[in-house]
Amino acid sequence: MNLRRLFASLLALMRKRRLDLELEDEIRAHLELAERDAVERGLSPEEAYRKARRGFGGIEQMKEEHRDRRSLRWIETLLRDFRYGLASLPRAPGFTAVVISILALGIGGTVAMFSVVDAVFVKPLPFPQPDRIVGVWEAPRPGAVNATTVPQFVAWNRLAKVFSALAAEQPILAALNDKSGPSRIAGKAVTAGYFKVFASGAKLGRTFTSEDDRPGAGPVVIISHAAWQSYFGGDPGILHRRLILDGEAYQVIGVLQRGPFDRDETQFWKPLIFTQDQLASDAHWLTVYGRLNASATLTNARERMRALYAALDETAPMKERGGTIVVEPLKQLLVGSNLHRSISVAFGAVLLVLLIACANIANLLFAQGATRRTELAVRSALGASRGRLVAQLLTEGFALCLLGGAAGIATAWLLIRVATPLLSQSLPFTADVSLNLHVLAFAAVVALGVAALAGVLPAVQASFGNLTDSLKQSARGSSVMHIRVRRSIVIGEVALSLVLVCGALLLARSLVKLQQLDTGIRVENVITMSADLPLGAYPTPQKAVLFYEAVARRLRSTPGVAKAGLSTYLPLEWISNGEAMQVAGAEKLVRVRFKRVDPGYFSTLDIPVLAGRGITNRDREGAPRVVVINQALAAGLRDIARMANPVGKMVRLSSTDYTEVQPLMSDVQIVGIIRSERTSSPGSPDPAVVYVPLAQAPNPHIKLLVRTHEGTASIMPSIRQAVREIDSNLPLGDVATMQQVRDRTLAGASRPAWLIGIFAFVAILLAAIGLYGVLAYSVTQQRRELGIRMALGARPGDVLSQVLRRALVMVSVGLIFGLIGVFALTRVIANLLFEVSPLDPLALATACISMMVIGLLAAFPPASRAARVDPIATLRDAG
Amino acid sequence: MSKAQTEIPYGTLDLLILKTLETMGAMHGYAIARRIEQVSGESLQLSQGSVYPALIRIQQEGWIRTDWGISETNRKVKFYSLTRAGRKQLLVEVANWEKATALVARFLEVST
Repeated sequence: MNLRRLFASLLALMRKRRLDLELEDEIRAHLELAERDAVERGLSPEEAYRKARRGFGGIEQMKEEHRDRRSLRWIETLLRDFRYGLASLPRAPGFTAVVISILALGIGGTVAMFSVVDAVFVKPLPFPQPDRIVGVWEAPRPGAVNATTVPQFVAWNRLAKVFSALAAEQPILAALNDKSGPSRIAGKAVTAGYFKVFASGAKLGRTFTSEDDRPGAGPVVIISHAAWQSYFGGDPGILHRRLILDGEAYQVIGVLQRGPFDRDETQFWKPLIFTQDQLASDAHWLTVYGRLNASATLTNARERMRALYAALDETAPMKERGGTIVVEPLKQLLVGSNLHRSISVAFGAVLLVLLIACANIANLLFAQGATRRTELAVRSALGASRGRLVAQLLTEGFALCLLGGAAGIATAWLLIRVATPLLSQSLPFTADVSLNLHVLAFAAVVALGVAALAGVLPAVQASFGNLTDSLKQSARGSSVMHIRVRRSIVIGEVALSLVLVCGALLLARSLVKLQQLDTGIRVENVITMSADLPLGAYPTPQKAVLFYEAVARRLRSTPGVAKAGLSTYLPLEWISNGEAMQVAGAEKLVRVRFKRVDPGYFSTLDIPVLAGRGITNRDREGAPRVVVINQALAAGLRDIARMANPVGKMVRLSSTDYTEVQPLMSDVQIVGIIRSERTSSPGSPDPAVVYVPLAQAPNPHIKLLVRTHEGTASIMPSIRQAVREIDSNLPLGDVATMQQVRDRTLAGASRPAWLIGIFAFVAILLAAIGLYGVLAYSVTQQRRELGIRMALGARPGDVLSQVLRRALVMVSVGLIFGLIGVFALTRVIANLLFEVSPLDPLALATACISMMVIGLLAAFPPASRAARVDPIATLRDAG
Repeated sequence: MSKAQTEIPYGTLDLLILKTLETMGAMHGYAIARRIEQVSGESLQLSQGSVYPALIRIQQEGWIRTDWGISETNRKVKFYSLTRAGRKQLLVEVANWEKATALVARFLEVST
């Protein structure tokens, strides 16, 4: 059939009524003409009437043929069943509402979850030719990647021929002063090629050119579309305005197109101009992205970069040699393995819920099929073929699932609206979670799948039973097969629910373990915030030190504040690495991390000093250089330098000075050891940390930690006031309680716990509904039997316990299958657990017992109904 | 049955209708059916009604079009006429028919 005919057929389908009428007219005209001719040839009117009809042939057959020829017959039938199906839905409003809401839950959840999967894994990155964008890293050892030094980046940019653009970025924070007071906004310092790498254009003005990152270039800035809207109200004259960042005026030269960057926290970009010192330094601090040119593939880019690195290696300092370069597609860099795992498990869980929902729908359709047996039997007696009946039931199921699918899409839309703000923190900024065509197509497939899964079995069952029996009223025996199928469905539901409940309980146990984890600090009543001193207002280290001391003193005298401390890094957060400690006499460098802290830091967090002393007010500029080390480093020194008691020992350190990197410095005395505080999520050992007095090595980026006497809820205004009294232009950012910081660091792996918990709850609910439905049905079916038994002397208590026993048997069988499933899935969930075995007996037992209890609860109403059966009434009723 | 009647060979009704419309111009369904009967000298066993399913199909192919007209009995009826595509199709169908009959004829000659 060609396209034209197909189109004509579909058109005919829509104009069926009119075409039928036209055909009727034609037939009438035809017969009239034939009669007239016959009369003209001398026949009597009666003979002419008969002759005309004889000549014409069978009128009804012709009409059928006409319909067959002009249109697609099976679609016509399908549409009729479909219409019938839709029309029959309001006849059972309760049934329809239950089915549609179950479908809305199941399909909605699955579709919403899929939209996350789609945004993170399926959709190409929202940049032109996204697979050409790569991250370029130095890899000092196999398996480890590191940021890049300026000399390396400059060399790559000059020598690498595989990139059409290469750019380095460094995240920065800046104070923005506007009417509402100082605030901190996130930005990036980037080299000129940055927007060529991402192929992002400007909506207004321009992006960076190679003129902008030359030394001596004027201060310019590009802002995101979102920043343009929120800080400048979308002012079209923005290109004539200046942005005051850290008290310095930057000319706005461009506004980006609306797009992925609006989802990122980065609000502005300024050129990254390397100083002479940076050009010579071997500090690793640049993140490099590149766009492969048209002729380069990932493999040859890797080879070329490796060769280039080897060539550069010969000129590199001794300790830098022997590494290589890693070129990774941006897409892989954006999605960490933790996120990958969380999303996969959550998606798997929601699919289980969908499966349970399917089982429930099948169960309900089954029950409904039973009530319709009489109707079907009548139709079958009137000549409808079995296939025709199955087709009708299937189409009706399909109509139901279509409505459910539509409700599911609406639910998904709602879920996405609600969840996106919560999720966006955990997802890469390139992920745009939305209901797009992919997702809608997926929803359609799911709805069809549900229709097939949930509709086929009841349809076949309803039509294959002995239908003529149904015409007789006493068809009780025929429901044995029926109840058996429904029971197996419920068992399946119980099994699947158990898997989800176990998963949720395991993750919850894991979260509890994380809460109990010793972090080495006191978390309660501590609030933290960050400040970044602008170089304009604090050009020298001395000025910064004065500020630190003033702020700490002022905070301590604030009412409600117990203690206050300053540090360059928060506890439980990552500390940048790259520094080293050298012990006199030992060849080997000990890799360490630096944390600059003021004298109040240890006491604010209740970190005990194990040996020697902490940092005091006397450790300032001019005084002998001292450091405090943590337990982990002390242990490391014992292993590497055979130093039994490091307190009092002199060591050499490499240090980043106030603004730039300095080589190793000598004559630093270790004056104390503190107990290790945790710096990362569980699994990784405590790193070796050196605590340097902030006053001896100031840094403009600091965190403030304040311990209050009671609660942290209402203290922020006084803290802000205190800081404003020292510097009225300095904004405080990243306000978070220590508890929040802790959760952020530790909850990572178990993040889907609450999500799985919700899924498990829905699953239990669905399984309970299924169980209730089956028992209620079988009790209704057995009224007569129950009536006889009670007439023979069975007490209501016996009947009650019999029905409950039946429920327990079903649940137990389901639990056995569920446990098999849990055992099969241990590997999947093990990765998400912290110090909890995937076969944790407590979690498994709790899950089984709660499923039992819920099963009994669902069984109770039908059981008590059974116990209240009036033997005389039932016996009389059954005749 | 008194007279020897042949059934229409499968698929040739389209050809007969197209040819009729080519010779006679626009006609209504009854006239087409009568014309086919007359030309075949009443030797064809045709239910007149069977032209209508054929007509709707040919129309959907775009080979004929319909216009409303008034019949001899003063009734509004559809008049069918050939389209340009229909004329082309007629040539194709005639050629196919001739090819087929020639083939069958040759086959019969060789076999006898």
